[in-house]
Amino acid sequence: MTFFGRMLWVIAFRSLLQHRVRTLILGAAIAGVTALLVTLTGAFVGIRTTLLLSATTLMSGHVNVAGFYKASASAGAPVVTNYKKLRAIIDREVPELDYVVQRGRGWAKLVSESSSQQAGIGGIDITNEPGFRQVVQVKEGSLDGLTKPNAMLIFEAQAKKLGVNVGDTMTIVAPTFRGTSNTVDVIVVAIAADIGMLSSWNTFMNDQGLRQLYQLNDESTGALQLYLKDLDQVKPVQERLRKVLAAEGFELMDPDPRPYFAKFDSVNRENWTGQKLDVTNWEEETSFVQWIVTALTALATIVIIVLMAIIGVGIMNVMWISIRERTREIGTLRAVGMQRDAVLAMFVAEGTLLGVMSTSVGGLLGVLGSLALTRARIALPPSWQFVFFSERLVISPTVFWVLTSVGFITVAITLISIIPSFLAARLKPITAMSHVG
Amino acid sequence: MSAIVTITDVVKEYSLGATVVQALRGVSLTVDKGEFISIAGPSGSGKTTLLNLIGCVDTATRGVVEVAGKNTANMSERELTNLRLNTIGFIFQSFNLVSVLTVFQNVEFPLLLQNKLNAKERKERVESLLEQVGLLTHLKHRPNELSGGQRQRVAIARALVTDPLIVLADEPTANLDSETGQAILDLMRSLNQKKGTTFIFSTHDHRVMRYANAVVRIADGKVKGRESPQEAVAHEMELGPDPTLSTEVRAS
Repeated sequence: MTFFGRMLWVIAFRSLLQHRVRTLILGAAIAGVTALLVTLTGAFVGIRTTLLLSATTLMSGHVNVAGFYKASASAGAPVVTNYKKLRAIIDREVPELDYVVQRGRGWAKLVSESSSQQAGIGGIDITNEPGFRQVVQVKEGSLDGLTKPNAMLIFEAQAKKLGVNVGDTMTIVAPTFRGTSNTVDVIVVAIAADIGMLSSWNTFMNDQGLRQLYQLNDESTGALQLYLKDLDQVKPVQERLRKVLAAEGFELMDPDPRPYFAKFDSVNRENWTGQKLDVTNWEEETSFVQWIVTALTALATIVIIVLMAIIGVGIMNVMWISIRERTREIGTLRAVGMQRDAVLAMFVAEGTLLGVMSTSVGGLLGVLGSLALTRARIALPPSWQFVFFSERLVISPTVFWVLTSVGFITVAITLISIIPSFLAARLKPITAMSHVG
Repeated sequence: MSAIVTITDVVKEYSLGATVVQALRGVSLTVDKGEFISIAGPSGSGKTTLLNLIGCVDTATRGVVEVAGKNTANMSERELTNLRLNTIGFIFQSFNLVSVLTVFQNVEFPLLLQNKLNAKERKERVESLLEQVGLLTHLKHRPNELSGGQRQRVAIARALVTDPLIVLADEPTANLDSETGQAILDLMRSLNQKKGTTFIFSTHDHRVMRYANAVVRIADGKVKGRESPQEAVAHEMELGPDPTLSTEVRAS
């Protein structure tokens, strides 16, 4: 930077310091908006992280190899036959794999002594589910109980609705994939903490128990859920698997970014029988809840735009006041030989400096506030849990989003400050020097 | 001596709503290099307007203004700014220092705009000038920490730091007490004699006119004549005090 450039920054900094009350008020407003933006982006990251964690624990892998088996054209079942062969292909073709689990998939009626409800049932081999234990918080009972054939895990809200406790018996009534109805009695071995809206219709039972319910053999399952070491590899792995499985002679369904349970109708309308595989990712399986993230993003965008407009008007006004107060100074500087672009640069530097200082403070406050709120483990009311996919408030500010928020607001403030700065630079020296006020 | 400023039939009009006011009505004037010249006249006579035209901060409605051999009417805004930077120094009635800069930085500022000297050379130049105006011990002071006379001396140092051909001073002593005003004029004259810089300053104070080599008398937007300081003072005595000035100023 030239000495002259440095001098412009010195003038900008000292001018801000000279009018410190005004600077503090506007700076506090900018810092507040920045902190809000950092917190909001942190909340989105928190929601997305929690959604990812809960969705990939309860109902999806990062990538899923699943599909439908149709004994007749109109009787599709979410079943994958001969899954061990598929597993071998996956092990061979996906080096990005962390681990893979097989889950049974079913939809049944849970009947207790006092109530009933429809729910999805995941058939789970708890001895082979490393991620499940990390995410699901058991409030009553034990996950180890799921090793027994007719054992079942439900969530708190479900237990409350059904009026059951650990050790109680329920009956599951399910239409089998052959068109008949089957029932089985299960014992509740664990009640887990709710995980947002996803846990409201998911339950788990021992995978052998689920096979018995649906009269499936040991070679069949609902889905192979793949967990990858790097989430950025989801799409490439999904694409690769589609190609590899097609090359291996498997029939594949057309790509359809909907969860499996939304595909029953369309699958049953198609005129084919036998097995077709469907390779999906976690975002597709949770597309029915992605609207929440979209809605929150839209809401936050509106809030930020409104706040930025208010801040923008504030900045313009403050710069106008500053320019009015310093009009004679502008005239003097122009008279002694300062070019218009230098005057412009001097005032833009002031706006930028105010922006950088305020957004830095705001970013820091946003991060500290977010961490404090998360650490406080604030319990969310049930309706909020539904949206946040969590019992407690989780705000996860990331370096990327903090820098993006700080950068965005700084750039916006700089751009806003160009308008009054430009008009200041256009002042004729004689006009500026004869300014009274 | 060769002319450094030539003004020929210059008219300057201002619009005040529907009314057009003629501040200068066909002024012609030549100022030679190295002159220490005063433009004298009552308030509203057109002194400041004339200085503004010479200083290229304003443009004439009609007529020709040549500064350092250049017709200012044919120059772009950028060229005029460069002409001011490299050729002209300004001393204002109200000092017009940048309040957030120190004494050193205020004086250094035009050198930074010129971007011709390195940091060491700039420091030497600025300190040398501040020594000449007696403010070497006030380098780090801000303008609000100085008296009026000290501020005007800083303004003089700033005006001279680029080694300009012309220094324009608009009522340089108007805001100073008589003793400080006299010291400032002594300083200006001494710099004029040492460096040969042309000084053009406006005043309506006959005590100030005495310092000039020549006095250009201006009234009602017209040059009434060029006089020696003695003639100008005598003329001033005949006219009596400027009726536009306050009693307090007239008494000073």
